[in-house]
Amino acid sequence: MAKPPDEGRLELLQGTLDMLVLRTLQWGPRHGHGIGQAIQAQSDDLLKVETGSLYPALHRLMKRGWLKAQWGISEANQRAKYYQLTATGKAQLLREQDRWSQLVHAIGRIMNPAARPGESGE
Amino acid sequence: MRPDERELDDEIRGHLALSVKERIERGEDPESARLAALREFGYVPAIRASMHRVWYSRWYDAVEALGHDMRIGLRSLLRAKGMAATVVLTLALGIGANAAIFSVVRGVLLRPLVNRDEDRLIYIRQSAPGLGVENMKFSVPEINDIESRVTSIGAFGDFSTVEFTMIGLGSEPRIVRAGVVGGSYFDVMGLRPVLGRLLNAQDDGPKAAGAAVLTYRFWTTSLNGDPGVIGKTIRLGPRTATVVGVLEPSVPYPAETELIANVVTSPHHLGATMVTNRAHRMTDLFGRLAPGVSLDAARAELTASHAAMMRAHPEAYSASANVQLRTTPLRDQIAAPARTILLVLLAAAGVVFIIACSNVANLILARSVRREGELAVRAALGAGTGALRRTLLAESLVLCGAGAVLGVLLARPFVGVVAGYAARFSVRALDVTVDSSVLWVGAGLAMAAAVLLAFVPRLPSPQGLANGSLRITPGTNRRLRVFAMTQIACSFVLLAGAGMLLATLVALQTANTGYDMRNVLVFDIPTSATGAGIGDAKVIDFYQESTRRIAELPGVDGVSVGGFVPWRDAGSFGPAVPFRVEGYTPANGEENPRARFRIVAPRFFAVVGIPMLAGRDFADEDRSGTEPVVIVSQSVAQRLFPNGEALNRKMWWTDPYFGSKPLPRRIVGVVADADDENVGRGPALTIYHPVRQLGVAGRLFVHAPGDPYALVPAVTRTIREISADQPVERPATLEDVRAEVLSPDRLNAFVFSGFAGIALLIAVVGVAGVLAFSVSARTREFGIRLAVGSAPRHLLARVLSEGVLIAAAGIAAGAAGGYALARVAMRVFATVQMPGALPVLGATAVLMAAAAVASLTPAARASRVDVLQALRSE
Repeated sequence: MAKPPDEGRLELLQGTLDMLVLRTLQWGPRHGHGIGQAIQAQSDDLLKVETGSLYPALHRLMKRGWLKAQWGISEANQRAKYYQLTATGKAQLLREQDRWSQLVHAIGRIMNPAARPGESGE
Repeated sequence: MRPDERELDDEIRGHLALSVKERIERGEDPESARLAALREFGYVPAIRASMHRVWYSRWYDAVEALGHDMRIGLRSLLRAKGMAATVVLTLALGIGANAAIFSVVRGVLLRPLVNRDEDRLIYIRQSAPGLGVENMKFSVPEINDIESRVTSIGAFGDFSTVEFTMIGLGSEPRIVRAGVVGGSYFDVMGLRPVLGRLLNAQDDGPKAAGAAVLTYRFWTTSLNGDPGVIGKTIRLGPRTATVVGVLEPSVPYPAETELIANVVTSPHHLGATMVTNRAHRMTDLFGRLAPGVSLDAARAELTASHAAMMRAHPEAYSASANVQLRTTPLRDQIAAPARTILLVLLAAAGVVFIIACSNVANLILARSVRREGELAVRAALGAGTGALRRTLLAESLVLCGAGAVLGVLLARPFVGVVAGYAARFSVRALDVTVDSSVLWVGAGLAMAAAVLLAFVPRLPSPQGLANGSLRITPGTNRRLRVFAMTQIACSFVLLAGAGMLLATLVALQTANTGYDMRNVLVFDIPTSATGAGIGDAKVIDFYQESTRRIAELPGVDGVSVGGFVPWRDAGSFGPAVPFRVEGYTPANGEENPRARFRIVAPRFFAVVGIPMLAGRDFADEDRSGTEPVVIVSQSVAQRLFPNGEALNRKMWWTDPYFGSKPLPRRIVGVVADADDENVGRGPALTIYHPVRQLGVAGRLFVHAPGDPYALVPAVTRTIREISADQPVERPATLEDVRAEVLSPDRLNAFVFSGFAGIALLIAVVGVAGVLAFSVSARTREFGIRLAVGSAPRHLLARVLSEGVLIAAAGIAAGAAGGYALARVAMRVFATVQMPGALPVLGATAVLMAAAAVASLTPAARASRVDVLQALRSE
């Protein structure tokens, strides 16, 4: 399976895929292919989700009750599974978003101490 | 919610279709778009599996990993073929023996009967522990009493066994065993006919027409299943009966019979003795529980009414006889004779399984020491304890699975052997078949063994990698020895048990019975065909004439008739009968003495080889009308008259059977004791009557110094010349009668010896294996010993003594465990005995010798170690 080297592409951070999937589904049901496409498009092609990670993640989220699925007919005129957020899924998305911004904030403080807010104390 | 396999496929297919469509829209040609989409998607089976695993995660992983390990295990076992073959074979023996015996146990003890609602069927019997009688049966007055008092039993069925001379089916007159039953019998038993009808209430009573139902076995084996028999008239002794039906295949109990007839076919059943004599017990009693009544409730009511009946007739139930009523489910009653032997066999098979597992554990332990390096490498690469155990479990699963498959295959023929054997004790064993329970038992045992074996080897310690060479730690060494000792101990128990059975058998077979065993030929010559009554002159003439003419045959030097073939007719005359003798008063509170009641003709004692000790033999002049006389056995004379003379005293039977005014009979002779009930000779209080005063005999005794069997045709011909309808059956020498009676004992000894033999074989292999392994692991040590001056024979003696030590410790453990086991068994089963010194010593000697032989090869190898090579090897 020789893959062309993806120049300039970013590795997905461990544990962020679930959040991205939930986020992508915020605006309505999508099938797996659509979710992958959306993540890629919205990240300006910087993030590309491997199907080998995406599909197990979708099933994992469904098993936890954050997603539900329905069979429908896709643009390619094929049966496709459409995923959709559940109520608990929406709550989970909020939690993850919260945690993510805390994480970004914390890492930003370490990586960029000069920009630390409230440094007047020193 | 949980997606099935098809949904996963659909989802992937949907993704690919979208991806292809997109590429085509971008201008790629369909073929390359398809390939690119597939390439981009990734390895489909892996992704599909990872989706699947989300839902089936833990078990899926575990099973898959185990499957993977099993494949590896199989491959690595194929490299150790010898060890794997030994393990599989050993396990197969253990599993096969257990599965087969369990099948038979299930078939005989647990399987339901064919009878309708068989769990409501009960068997009622009287036992008299005081007389040593397990099943005394019932008399008709007793049955009437019980029936009239009891409400918890819906209906009673009665069955008594008689012999008829049957003429009509087949050309020759033949003796058939028949059940005589009342009208309710078949309804109570819940059986159906395969042809015609069964007997019912209309067939009951003395005014009905004679009717008989053939048993399925008789109909198929003797009459080839001929449907034309229905409606035929047969002669049964003096009466006739019409064959009205054929019974479905069912367990014959209490006796295997050819036919079952109504009461009117048996004059005896209509006679006063049968109907009115409380002590004339020959009937088996069955019952069907009334709806809603529990067995316990019925038992309580039956016991209470029986006690009331005994109080009402104290004269018929002596206190010392201690008559009791027993109520058991019919199925248990039928299985009872086989229960002990089957449970003992099951235990023996269990012991063999323990031995097999110990042996396999040893082999696996030794192997795990050899592969300690491999396990250490795995541990170093990050395999956790669980993963390492899983590796071991996978391997033992492969081994045990193979063992189970082979074991179940072995079990199939083995079930036949064991069932044939168990059929000696319970007819139910005859139709035991191999069923799925064999598979379940085999699989269960294999799983148990596999789990056990996976936890036997020690896992490598973190330091295990420090030294890649073969080492035996003290812990492993100890385990090896413990397993070897377990095998020896279990083998010892089995060997001692087998030795005990053999010793008993040999003692019985060689015991002096008091009879001339080799030269006495016996025949059954029942007289019921003539329809003559007791003391009928025709019967006496027939005996007289046949005795005279057979005595003239060349090769015959003595002929007589009697009523009882030793051992073969055991029990047929019932328990010993109470009597009194003038000049002997029982001490206060003591009951009348009891003696066996026998009937013989003049010269009987000379023919069978029992010496006359005093007085005279019966003579032709002792006939009805002359003074009643008897001959007593030595133990009667000594017990009653230790100092005096028994001759010419008068005795009379006090049992109610002989009426209220029994005839006094004069003792005219004393003969040596001969125990005709038990092969193992016991004290035999016996009183003999002359046939001419009582009129029935039915057994012919011929003394022939040459080859007795050569006389059979001539004797048969002679009798048929006198009476053409006379059956002449079952010719055998006393020696063969004894062999026949002992055949269950012989089979017990044989089967148990088989188990002990298997156990011994496995144990020898086990001890040899442990020593061989220990020697090969200590090559270096032996090299050094030799180098510093040890003599090779010292090394030989050293290894040999190790083997003997293991055996000695095992025997000690086996003796202790076996003693405890025997104590428990004695409490549960009355028939179990502690083995004598001889079997124990024999088992010890056999095991010691076997251990020494098993140690010889490894010991020889130790003494032949090449010093230089041993020292250089590491």
